[in-house]
Amino acid sequence: MSGPSRAPDGRENIRFTFDGKEYLARPGDTLAAALLANGVGLVARSFKYHRPRGIMAAGVEEPNALVTVGLGGRAEPNTRATDVFVHDGLIARSQNRWPSLSSDAGAVFGLAAKALPAGFYYKTFFGPAKLWLKYEALIRRAAGMGDAPTKADPDSFAQRSAFCDTLVVGSGPAGLQAALTAAEAGDSVILVEQDAALGGSLLVDPDPALGADWIAQTIARLRELGARILLRTTAAGYWDHNFVTLAERLAEPGAVPSHGFAQRLWHVRAGRVVLATGVIERPVPFTANDRPGVMLSRAVRAYVRRFGVVPGQRVVIATNNDDAYLTAQALREVGAEVVAILDARTQADVPAGFPVHFDARPVAAVGTLHHLTGVTALVGGRTVAFKADLLAVSGGFTPVVHLHSQAGGKLDWNEAAQAFVPGAIAQVCTSVGEVIAPLPAPAVVPAGSPKKSFVDFQNDVSLADIDLAWQEGYRSVEHMKRYTTLGMATDQGKLGNLVALQRVAQEQGVTVPQAGLTTFRPPYTPVTMGLLGGPGARNAGAHVRRIALHDRHDALGPTWQPAGYWFRPRAYPQPGETLGAAALREARAVRGAAGLCDVSTLGKFEVSGPDAAALLEIACATRVANLKPGRGRYTVMLREDGLLMDDGTVWRLGDNRYLLTSSTGGADRMAQHLSYIRQVLRPQMRVSVVNVQEHYAGLALAGPRSSGIIAALTGASAPAHMGVVAAVIAGVPVWVLAASYSGERAFEIHGEATAMGPVWDALLAAVKAAGGSTYGLDAMDLLRIEKGHVVIGAEADGRRGPYDLGLHKMLNPAGGFVGAAGLTRPALTAAGRHRLVGVEAIDGAPIAEGAMLVAREGAKVEGHVTAAGRHVLGEGGIALALLADGPDRLGAEFLATSPTRGMHTRVRVVSPHFYDPAGERYRD
Amino acid sequence: MTDVAITTLPPAPLHAFEIWSDPHGVAGRFAAAFGADLPALGTSVQAGGLTLIRYEPTVWLVEGDASTLAAVLGDDGALTAIGGGLVRVRLSGSGWRELLSYGGQFDAFAPTFAPGSSAATVIDHVGVRLWVENADSCVAYVPASFGAALVHFWHEMAALVRA
Amino acid sequence: MYQIDCPHCGPRAQSEFTFDRPVEAIVPPDAAAADALQALYTRTNPMGVDDEVWRHTYGCRAWLVLTRDRVSHAIDAVRALGPEALS
Repeated sequence: MSGPSRAPDGRENIRFTFDGKEYLARPGDTLAAALLANGVGLVARSFKYHRPRGIMAAGVEEPNALVTVGLGGRAEPNTRATDVFVHDGLIARSQNRWPSLSSDAGAVFGLAAKALPAGFYYKTFFGPAKLWLKYEALIRRAAGMGDAPTKADPDSFAQRSAFCDTLVVGSGPAGLQAALTAAEAGDSVILVEQDAALGGSLLVDPDPALGADWIAQTIARLRELGARILLRTTAAGYWDHNFVTLAERLAEPGAVPSHGFAQRLWHVRAGRVVLATGVIERPVPFTANDRPGVMLSRAVRAYVRRFGVVPGQRVVIATNNDDAYLTAQALREVGAEVVAILDARTQADVPAGFPVHFDARPVAAVGTLHHLTGVTALVGGRTVAFKADLLAVSGGFTPVVHLHSQAGGKLDWNEAAQAFVPGAIAQVCTSVGEVIAPLPAPAVVPAGSPKKSFVDFQNDVSLADIDLAWQEGYRSVEHMKRYTTLGMATDQGKLGNLVALQRVAQEQGVTVPQAGLTTFRPPYTPVTMGLLGGPGARNAGAHVRRIALHDRHDALGPTWQPAGYWFRPRAYPQPGETLGAAALREARAVRGAAGLCDVSTLGKFEVSGPDAAALLEIACATRVANLKPGRGRYTVMLREDGLLMDDGTVWRLGDNRYLLTSSTGGADRMAQHLSYIRQVLRPQMRVSVVNVQEHYAGLALAGPRSSGIIAALTGASAPAHMGVVAAVIAGVPVWVLAASYSGERAFEIHGEATAMGPVWDALLAAVKAAGGSTYGLDAMDLLRIEKGHVVIGAEADGRRGPYDLGLHKMLNPAGGFVGAAGLTRPALTAAGRHRLVGVEAIDGAPIAEGAMLVAREGAKVEGHVTAAGRHVLGEGGIALALLADGPDRLGAEFLATSPTRGMHTRVRVVSPHFYDPAGERYRD
Repeated sequence: MTDVAITTLPPAPLHAFEIWSDPHGVAGRFAAAFGADLPALGTSVQAGGLTLIRYEPTVWLVEGDASTLAAVLGDDGALTAIGGGLVRVRLSGSGWRELLSYGGQFDAFAPTFAPGSSAATVIDHVGVRLWVENADSCVAYVPASFGAALVHFWHEMAALVRA
Repeated sequence: MYQIDCPHCGPRAQSEFTFDRPVEAIVPPDAAAADALQALYTRTNPMGVDDEVWRHTYGCRAWLVLTRDRVSHAIDAVRALGPEALS
């Protein structure tokens, strides 16, 4: 018998499958342990060369054994077999192989490895860009990870916060002790462990000095003291001000979670962080050091002691440190034969009774697809061959300094251990345990072929690739990393980065710290996207904002349109009617009779106090103070640089009380802007600015019949254009503002949102009786384009000043408003600026929104169409456009061309006021 | 057993009560009229049928019939109705603090966040104002447009609180 | 994610705050145009400590000045900016 095995003890009652074959596992097994227990040596194919790979580690640092776990939307690709605890019914599949692991067509890439060195992309695929696209598809298919699931994840993800005095990461002896000490001192404590069991190294190497029950006793005491203990939880990121993000698995990958939540992201703010993150064993470079059957020494010990698995019967151990002798003892305890211990040191004080060879280094591992058969070694300069089915390797220990480093901590170099250890750190954070005291392990010059001596197993980076990067002039370790892709795989080079750095240092003739170190970035281990998206991921991360009368609109069957976070009716199509036809019908109803539209999303601010007008004259670029009570006017607000920020209307509701409206999309920005003016620029003003955007629901009533409807419903004559009155409609107090966006006689009716249902009902009945209609955003757009009204975000696109949009004549001549200084910049009125015009299709064809205005095909772009519509009552395409020196070019002809929409229309430049330019329809 | 209930309360008259000058004079008139001090930031007071909750340096949220406050303010501030824009949601049961831990970065377990306290924060991207009604209950003032979405979120998260 | 000690609310997460501008870029609306443009477009942008205008937008909505080290991200001081009715 050879290869990994485990004698059954009757607890093998969990069924799982790997690549369709059913196996049995014990409770507490990782998938890796269960596969080894079942004699499975070949688990994966490597990323680039499709080399056969087995299980190398026992923890999250595993580089090779990446599998896909679960089915459908629950499938999780690229999961480490060492980081999945087997549950009944678990389905795991290998990746990056076709048709199967054992006969993988992609293995041809391994034979062609000579042609695929580091940087082969850059060297091989010169030539036309079109060919690149083909190569890329080929490469992506061949060099692969698991497939991303195409179905939606059926499970949810939660995100919560927590606050504690002390956060301890890692539950080995140092972490448990630190947690206990803190809890006994009265600290609130959170203890985090990525494993499913507490104890860390104690699970493999019990400490007789602590006693067998120490872990259980410590856990019990911690719980008694109220500590929060999180298992299967990874401290993934350490950010500013002791903010640590934890990724907690509530269900194993692929399992159905009991409460519908697969994972939980914790945002922890800790008074103090203790990092007891331990070390990761380093591999040893030699020929074919990536074969199934080559395993890290501590991993071998973990499988033996924790999982009862014997990873091999005839074992060679290659080491440069004392720790591997503990593995030899563990193997001997379970009856495996230690064939040889290859100790790279020339001498050391080691336990007796093992066949130890000093000054000995492995040269090559040999074996079959699934298992190891032998090891050749250099022993005192002589080549010796050993028969073996397992090669346990230990190249020393790399402290897990990731979190310390993410937190901004410095790293110190420990020469004896050949390792970076935590150094000074500005955050309130300490590292304890093995991470600060790795075992001594001297540097060893590798034997074997550099080409087959892997340092980054997941990205197939070998010593030869590091050498090549050096030969080709990559001096900085950061450049070497990017050229070779060292450490850029999902394991971020946890295993072999230091081996590669030692190689770089050796080539440069410097020390490792002089050679440099690449940056540690979060997350420590991969985090699924769903967890970061959180529960809102299904709505693209954002809630829907519902207007107050949502249900009343919904009963009319509108097409809902997302507008920012809001959902607004786009149109109310009748059965069989297209959206375009519905919008035109609705717009014609407004022009011909009356229309009713929901404008509740408009920004609205009540400004009260003796200094209300003075404040508004800072925010608005137009006169406000001369407004009489009961009157309103159109206004614009500028940014400090003089460009347009927003527009709206301002109404004097009472002597010292104003209502300011602004655009829907700009409402939050306007709230911030007004607050800045009031609190930062004018803290002494006697004024109160209150955001009433949601307090008032607003309805727009427009059309020649609208003033009659208002008169009938309020029992008083409607206010004149730009007048405002307080009224009662359907028993509800409202403000009636005579403002028009459509170009018709029109009103906005604003009332307390919770009470506006009856107002809507009364207005809708009256509009219908008048032969009118509800109208949505599309009809509103048709109407305003025809009227030449600008929209923030379309015409006012963040690059336009008042001059560009023909608004400069309304500016407050006294100045003193935000943006007045910016407006003095000469460029804002220079020749050549793109300014607002209308364009009309010469042959009546539709015009494409976004179309470029050019003299002829291929000529330079002189402007573009910002909003395209059509004559509402007549026919033919019209649009608003921004054109270089536009108002000076009335009558000129252009091609409005949109290659992306395939629309090319001849247009003539006209005034943007297509409809009722004299404004006669505003009046009764 | 940790439990939590989420209850949407009926609309109530709500006002923003803002002081722009002579705060001590206003405070004195308030004390004279209501027999209580105007609450400090992060706290509240219930007096004369009103609940005043202070969320901002110069602004109190008033729940109830605020008409009597006009005289207290005089020319030193303004009252503005805001009740149409806020939905009140009561989170009650032993798990309400844990529920508030979801979707936000606010320490609902802080000892200072005791009955009578108030705080404004963000829960699942929505700006909310919280008022601790009593040990077992907290009222959230939620922008009306987000009300349905946030209540749905809380119901989803309550499953984890109860687990 | 910073923790910012709001003088009104106590320590809160950065997600409740918005950065606005460095203090030197506060432009009074009645400033002479040349001065205003100078303040808007010419910033010292020191590497290290600077005074910055932030707002506790999703908390008490008050404006603050943070004395913040742009290298270490340490926040040395936070003070209130704006009218305050009562302490």
